[in-house]
Amino acid sequence: MPSTSTANSTRTPLTNLPSWTGALVALLLLMAVTVAIEYARSGTTAFISPENLINILRQWSFVGIIAIGMTFVIITGGIDLSVGSLLAFVGGLGILTLNALLANDVSEWLAVVVAGVVIIGSGTLAGLLNGLLIAKGRLAPFIATLGGLAAYRALAQTLADGGEFRSQSFNLFPLLGSGGIPVPFTNVAPNAPLPVPLTIPWPVVIFLIMAAAASIVLNRTRFGRYALATGSNERAAVYSAINVDRIKLATYSLVGACTGVAALLLASRMNSISSGQTGGLTELDAIAAVVIGGTRMSGGSGSIGGTVLGVLILGVAGNMLNMLGVNPYLQGLVKGLIIIAAVLVQRRKIS
Amino acid sequence: MFKAPVAMPTLIETRRLDKSFGSVHALHQVSLAFVRGEVHGLIGENGAGKSTLMRILAGLVQPDGGQVFHRDKPLRLKGPGDALARGIVMIHQELNLVDELTVADNIFLGREPTRGGIIDRQAMRQRSGELLADLHAQLDPDTFVKDLSIGQQQMVEIVKAMSQDASLLIVDEPTAALSGSEARLLFSLIARLKARGTTIIYISHILPEVLAVCDRITVLRDGQVVTTLDRDQLTGETRDKERHLAGLMVGRPMGDHFPPRQRAGDQSAIELRGISLPGLVHGVSLSIKRGEILGLAGLIGAGRTELAEAVVGLRRRSGGEILIEGRPVVINTVRDAVRLGLAYLSEDRRGRGLLMGMSITANITMVSLRRYCRPLISPAAEHEAVASHRAAMGIRMGQPSHPIESLSGGNQQKVALAKWLEISPRVLILDEPTRGVDIGAKEEIYNLIVKLAAQGMACLLISSEINEVLGLSHRVAVMRQGRLMAVMDVCNATEKSVMYHAAGVDAVAEATATVTSAL
Repeated sequence: MPSTSTANSTRTPLTNLPSWTGALVALLLLMAVTVAIEYARSGTTAFISPENLINILRQWSFVGIIAIGMTFVIITGGIDLSVGSLLAFVGGLGILTLNALLANDVSEWLAVVVAGVVIIGSGTLAGLLNGLLIAKGRLAPFIATLGGLAAYRALAQTLADGGEFRSQSFNLFPLLGSGGIPVPFTNVAPNAPLPVPLTIPWPVVIFLIMAAAASIVLNRTRFGRYALATGSNERAAVYSAINVDRIKLATYSLVGACTGVAALLLASRMNSISSGQTGGLTELDAIAAVVIGGTRMSGGSGSIGGTVLGVLILGVAGNMLNMLGVNPYLQGLVKGLIIIAAVLVQRRKIS
Repeated sequence: MFKAPVAMPTLIETRRLDKSFGSVHALHQVSLAFVRGEVHGLIGENGAGKSTLMRILAGLVQPDGGQVFHRDKPLRLKGPGDALARGIVMIHQELNLVDELTVADNIFLGREPTRGGIIDRQAMRQRSGELLADLHAQLDPDTFVKDLSIGQQQMVEIVKAMSQDASLLIVDEPTAALSGSEARLLFSLIARLKARGTTIIYISHILPEVLAVCDRITVLRDGQVVTTLDRDQLTGETRDKERHLAGLMVGRPMGDHFPPRQRAGDQSAIELRGISLPGLVHGVSLSIKRGEILGLAGLIGAGRTELAEAVVGLRRRSGGEILIEGRPVVINTVRDAVRLGLAYLSEDRRGRGLLMGMSITANITMVSLRRYCRPLISPAAEHEAVASHRAAMGIRMGQPSHPIESLSGGNQQKVALAKWLEISPRVLILDEPTRGVDIGAKEEIYNLIVKLAAQGMACLLISSEINEVLGLSHRVAVMRQGRLMAVMDVCNATEKSVMYHAAGVDAVAEATATVTSAL
């Protein structure tokens, strides 16, 4: 009795807040707790330093880029489990292309550009294939992409004979993943003879630019609106003259392209791809980031800002546990609890 | 306030029930008595408090104040289990059956007869067979529920209720999804239950039905009881009785609520030639002129919705041609239809017509979104569009960014219409445009339809309310079992002649006989 009325009255202001409010609060809490523990222990914080924060961002930018595409897929009511394996496969494909071109005396510039095109292009094509299986073949997204998860890993391992793809470009190719934009007037090495400016790595820059663009695409373009409509009620979307199949093809192609970008940056950063290890469980990290960010698993609502926050929460949580010296084997437990807590909080908000 | 029929004891009584949800006062001092063996109609506009009252009786909601009495003893219902234990069963609009189980399984779901800890299927089937036979329900206990029609499923629900010794059966809009013959079966089932002394509370929007089925009728408005009438207290023709009840529901006298028709044009807007859908629609040819409203009557299942969906590209036709303004056109998808200026307002507003999770704005601009892209969607332009529809149609709403669910049925329907008016259609197909809409909003929608026709739009009005078809249309077409039976000028059409074509002459006679003899 009174419970219904209180639920009603407290819900009204909550619904006016953006869906990622919860994620933002959680992130700030997590950071505050970390800093508090650090101060209690040593009277200073290493966590909040720019280098550390940038380091977190760099480590998670690859997952973040994939999570941007995943947000669109989940918003349409789908899922893509193949991205982790695909990351290793297209990354490997790119390195093979690069090495083959260099072996044939093609200039390093051209080889890197062609490899990049191959990586992003083949990622997009793989996404399109998923989309075709789902939209035209009427396969459940979980099943279609589960097939990809197994298949692309197998392809990668076959190509590398179970080992690593190693790039033969030692000057140009690694720049993309390791270089960055220096921030003027900063110095991260005060004792060095010359100032060493703080550098924002390219993967972080690209992640943030892509997130900003994706947010505009989701909220201000027909594609974004139609993706939301498709996930909200596919049949009603068809009745509203929306080409639902085309929207699905586009979202899966998009997550494929994002996976390609992540693969390019990751291959460049490591200058190699491990056919067995790279991208392992990346699909679950990406999905977790999307869900923590407040996007509804059943589709129809979500935000890119939330996904970015979700990525940051996962990154900060891992980093915090590292800095506090928690057993690394326990970190999965914390990640699991965060995911479950995020969904529980959202459930309460919806019902 | 009411006269209890002679010598019939009260089964359930509510005294001064009060209930609020947040700032909404859903029930205000509601005192009502339901006597044994009566069919008690409960009518009122959406939001009048019917559902809240029934949910209190079914133990789903607890009142803030007041009391419920069962056989003159106070009764506290803490949950649906308590209500069930007292023989109070509510049959919801959305049926609660398990599709993948048989009729017998469903009747005994949760209380299966067992022998040695194992379900005794033999006993269960036999008991179900007896229960079904008892109520003259011609169903096989071994049929899977998913293979039954909605009407048959409803029958299973009622049999299930009776197997739990229901003394009070609450039915909420029971005929909303039934065909004519299924509704007749339901009415005779209700008559049999009544004869056994079961009390039935009958909630419905359909006034002729309430008048035919119920012994007494209670009208609720704004959470208060307006009056309880004996059926015999109402005098005059059926139409006069309906108008009287409708007046009590809205709180003002109801006139003849159809606006005067305007003259139709001479040019053909759309012509259908031999439209066929395998098994559903057989060679339907029709034409509608500019500014004309063509009513399409028929029973549920006559193929009217299927015909409309075939015309706008939602279903694949097996044959037929469509001409728009005299030129043959190709329509394979809804996008083709939209490009040619054809709009289809679905009968299933919540499932197909609107995107329930999305905002009012997003719903209104969903089909015409391209217009608001420059190149990014302009929120300002969208809001301007919403504001103009809101003013033109009198949509009562909060912020444009609020979800569409926050609107009442009538206002949701206006939004659904606005969405299609956005494309300035040449041909507007309206499928049950006033279903689940309050009487007040109904009138507004009627006015709107007539106004749109006057602007030159050709309208195909599909409706199961014969009144509506006769009151608005220039011509009336009738379908039966996928075939076009007749097209009449409205001045030659009567309720009787429409029913004759819709159901066949025998069915009409039978229906009248069933209703009069059963009640």
